[in-house]
Amino acid sequence: MKEVKLCIVGFGNIGRGLAAVLDEKQDLLRRRHGLKLTVVAVAEKDGSLVNERGVDLSRALKTQFSSCPEYSSMKTLDVIKSCNADMVVELTPGNMKNGEPGLSHILRSLECGMHVVTSNKAPLALKYREIMDCARKAGREVRFEATVGGAIPLINLYRGTLQANEVRNIYGILNGTTNFILSKMAEECVDFRIALKEAQELGLAESDYSYDVDGIDSAVKVVILANALMGRSVSLKDVRVVGIRDITYETVELARKHNSVIKLVGDVNELEVSPRIIPQNHPLNISGALNAVMLDTDVAGDITITGVGAGPRETSSSVLSDIIDLAIKV
Amino acid sequence: MIVQMQLDLKDVPGSLLRVLEPISSHGGNILSVMHSRGGGDRVLVHIVFKIGDLEMLDLVKNSLKQRNIRATRINIEGRKYYSKKSASFMLVGHVIDTDLRDTIDRINDVGLVSDIDVVMPNPKEKSSVLLEVEFDERKKKQLVDCMKRICDRKKFLLIRSLD
Repeated sequence: MKEVKLCIVGFGNIGRGLAAVLDEKQDLLRRRHGLKLTVVAVAEKDGSLVNERGVDLSRALKTQFSSCPEYSSMKTLDVIKSCNADMVVELTPGNMKNGEPGLSHILRSLECGMHVVTSNKAPLALKYREIMDCARKAGREVRFEATVGGAIPLINLYRGTLQANEVRNIYGILNGTTNFILSKMAEECVDFRIALKEAQELGLAESDYSYDVDGIDSAVKVVILANALMGRSVSLKDVRVVGIRDITYETVELARKHNSVIKLVGDVNELEVSPRIIPQNHPLNISGALNAVMLDTDVAGDITITGVGAGPRETSSSVLSDIIDLAIKV
Repeated sequence: MIVQMQLDLKDVPGSLLRVLEPISSHGGNILSVMHSRGGGDRVLVHIVFKIGDLEMLDLVKNSLKQRNIRATRINIEGRKYYSKKSASFMLVGHVIDTDLRDTIDRINDVGLVSDIDVVMPNPKEKSSVLLEVEFDERKKKQLVDCMKRICDRKKFLLIRSLD
């Protein structure tokens, strides 16, 4: 049995989702991969849980962070430096102004000789080259499947099964909130504000919904895909972004009259996020809060993948997949 | 050079003659004409003709355009020279109040607006206008740039079809 030590940074929705799935999948990891994943530290902004023999994740999930016996007030960067893990799993929320605190967490982890798995889009969208240069110098890897498309295995599909292909373009619905709103407008004949309100009530849209509806979230993913998979060197300011808030009920109805729908599409080749007209029978015409991505490849042709683009449990599938891949290599 | 031209014409008396006249008047020597009725009111026509050079062919194309006739495909010596594509563009904003005629004229400089559908909830609110535009596939970028320029200038939301 191979033991691999993890340090989880960020114990919000995604961090707690991962902890629950890790707990649930320990048997499967032993049977299928001969792996024992031990979480030796969990770091949050107001304190940390550190235990070399393994933090009790079930207790951490059930009780207040600060009332766990392993609790200390040690700061995250110090935890990363001293925890002696093989891998850091960086799951803090992103800050699109400077990528912090995730950027510092990732760079510190690499400098300390640890691999990194992250779901944090901001550092990758803002400082992709800097992070990859740092990883190369340290001889370590950074994996980020969960940053684009939540549970959809997009980056690993490209690097694995599609490795014989030239990918000519990647485009699709990269944000579940806007897909939910536009689907609702089309299917229930309601206007933007009513559809948005319902998305908020269901927890699909934040009270500050501009990041989703103005296309920023999709644009961030376009940048990550362009840099990571298409060999580009671009940042958020290079992407032309148009959101969906000016789409009226009449616009959606007019599209339907012509057997079409409107979806917010991120197009990696064109570095553009904008609403697009799609025929009703097109593979990207998926309803609800799902994501759908098309890869235009030279050998395999068009490939469409669809799945849940957000949610703690679903995102954990991608995070854990990266962890297992790296754990096998450690 | 030998030119093969494919056209989609309305099946009414005189429409074939309106195509043949510009070819002859610009020095084209017509070698064959084939047409097939595919049902409805359209007829597909293939014309093969000999013409001096590209400039003369462009004169033929321009004359046809003035007659509102568009070739759907042109091959020169068997190689594709021109292929007509069609794209949908939706404009959301005060499209009527900002001179719709001018908008269409600007688009027609690059392509040809072949169909239009307008929804106007009331005069004070934004309207939604769907335009079908035919264009030479080599001019796709030019057309998209033209649409973006119009929409930036007239403050429309542009929604274009996915290829």
